[in-house]
Amino acid sequence: MALRDWPIKHKLTAILLLISGLVLLLTSAAFVTYQVVTFRQTTRNNLSTRAQILAANSTAALAFANEADAREILSALKADPHLVAAALYDKDGHLFATYPAGLAAAALPPAPQADGYRFQPGRLIGFEPVAQGANDRLGTLYLESDTEAVYDSLRLSGIIAVLVMGVALLAAYFLAAALQGRISEPILALAGTAAAVSERQDYSVRAAKLGADELGVLTDAFNQMLGRIEEQERTLRSYATELEQRVAERTQELEKRAAELQAANSELDAFAYSVSHDLRAPLRSIDGFSQVLLEDYAARLDDAGRDSLHRVRAASQRMATLIDDLLKLARVTRAEMRTEPVNLSRMAQEIVLDIQRATPDRQVDIAITPGLETWGDSRLLRVALDNLLRNSWKYTGKQTQPRIEFTAVDENGGRVFAIKDNGAGFDMQYADKLFGVFQRLHSAAEFEGTGVGLATVRRIINRHGGRIWAEGTVGQGATFFFTL
Amino acid sequence: MAFLSAITALASALLLVQSPRASEYQLKAVFLFNFVQFVDWPAAAAADSQLPLVIGILGDDPFGAFLDETVRGERLGARPIQVRRYRQVTDIGECNILFISRSERERVPEIVSGLKNRPVLTVSDADAFANRGGMIQFIKDKNRIRLRINLEAAQAAHLTISSKLLRVADVVRAPTR
Repeated sequence: MALRDWPIKHKLTAILLLISGLVLLLTSAAFVTYQVVTFRQTTRNNLSTRAQILAANSTAALAFANEADAREILSALKADPHLVAAALYDKDGHLFATYPAGLAAAALPPAPQADGYRFQPGRLIGFEPVAQGANDRLGTLYLESDTEAVYDSLRLSGIIAVLVMGVALLAAYFLAAALQGRISEPILALAGTAAAVSERQDYSVRAAKLGADELGVLTDAFNQMLGRIEEQERTLRSYATELEQRVAERTQELEKRAAELQAANSELDAFAYSVSHDLRAPLRSIDGFSQVLLEDYAARLDDAGRDSLHRVRAASQRMATLIDDLLKLARVTRAEMRTEPVNLSRMAQEIVLDIQRATPDRQVDIAITPGLETWGDSRLLRVALDNLLRNSWKYTGKQTQPRIEFTAVDENGGRVFAIKDNGAGFDMQYADKLFGVFQRLHSAAEFEGTGVGLATVRRIINRHGGRIWAEGTVGQGATFFFTL
Repeated sequence: MAFLSAITALASALLLVQSPRASEYQLKAVFLFNFVQFVDWPAAAAADSQLPLVIGILGDDPFGAFLDETVRGERLGARPIQVRRYRQVTDIGECNILFISRSERERVPEIVSGLKNRPVLTVSDADAFANRGGMIQFIKDKNRIRLRINLEAAQAAHLTISSKLLRVADVVRAPTR
């Protein structure tokens, strides 16, 4: 596991141990070095002191050539097991006396070397002048000590250092383990609280505060934050509840009203349908008998009578058209919707061809943007488009250069279809009356019509969830916009 | 250097005995010189530290040139060391160490009493010198030269002999006359 993924308590313990270990190591190294250096110095000084005493004692023995006495003086060295060899050289550099007594001359330097003390591998040697008085050199004393004492000291210091380090590290570990909690516990408590909050979305929990230090401040801030979130959540929830309740009430109300409206509408539709249907039979009789009168009794009628009968027939035919339109309107409301992709451009083209066939004597400039597609009920949309195009065809009837366009623009993320003509137009003052049933802005003498067509169109567009509106100027044409 | 040759002579005296007489007196000359280092004279005797330190020989000189060679150029502190030769006790003036030759061995008691209370270190290789009031006697022992010291005689003359010197010597107790 990478160091940065360690739990904080282990990190703290490791850091404390690392620091104390390093300090201990450096201290121990300094201690051992100091011990060894000091001990070497002490050893050298001891040897030097001993040599000076021995040299002072040996003067007479050398001056008066008393070897026995010299040996006796040197034999005092046996008290120190580390002193392995000693020798006296006379003034001329010849070996005069040795210690221990039986030591072979080969084990000693053949002649005295420069005065002084030096460490050599495994031993410490020294040459001390033997002199009586200020300027009379009588000979040289040689001493050789093994360095076991130095190694013993090094070993002892090493053992002490290792023991102290071990004990201190152990103590440091326990202290670190005990004290890291002061720092890690509040953090762990915070982390635990944070985890509980994010896992259970429970904002009512609070982190325990374990002190007034920075972690305590952090804990307080965290708890305050939790408190505020909890409060806000409660408020939000109460708002939501209230809102839901209000929506439910409103929905119920609306449903109730919609149901009432639906019922009223169906009744009305049923009424309109049956009335229209029932009206057709007497109308057919009126028309039929008027025709019989005109065909079979024409000779017996005068011109005024025939004219009246013609008028009766025209009126009854107009009424039949009106009833047809009303039935169509009712059917539009009652029909089932079937949604499918519809190519409005092609549909408009076909309708225009139909109209042109019916009135071949008129020349109208038609411009249809190709590829206008949408989703909807093709049967109903054909009725709507048929109504709108026939409308434009009709109201451009008095223009010398009639023109009709079918286009679409994309506006606010939705598609707006438009059918524009340069016909009679209308006064914008009455724009909202255009789509009402039986609402006509022009007299039947000017432009024939029942006043049901645009109402039918609006119903179809509404059933598709769309919107329809119109813009126009008297004498300059009108544009019908719709969305689906 | 004369001194070095004297040391060489000392070494050969220790190791070789082919010419016993010559080596013996070479060694004794060195010993006489070495006494300078191990004996303290009373302050009055060295009042002026510039005065020479005198080694005298009374009677026939057995050293030949050895003693002169040994002390040549040597000093004790600032004091030069001189060798003087005397025939009579009355000749002896300022003197620190007096070697009494074997030729005078019959007159030792007289000589000693004549020097009584003077701070002169008396040395001789005459038999029983130390027992007869002399201070240091050279004794021959198996080709080695040993010392015998009459400490009381030295003390009576207010001479202080270093304990180191006493250590390598035999100390006898004999009444001083």
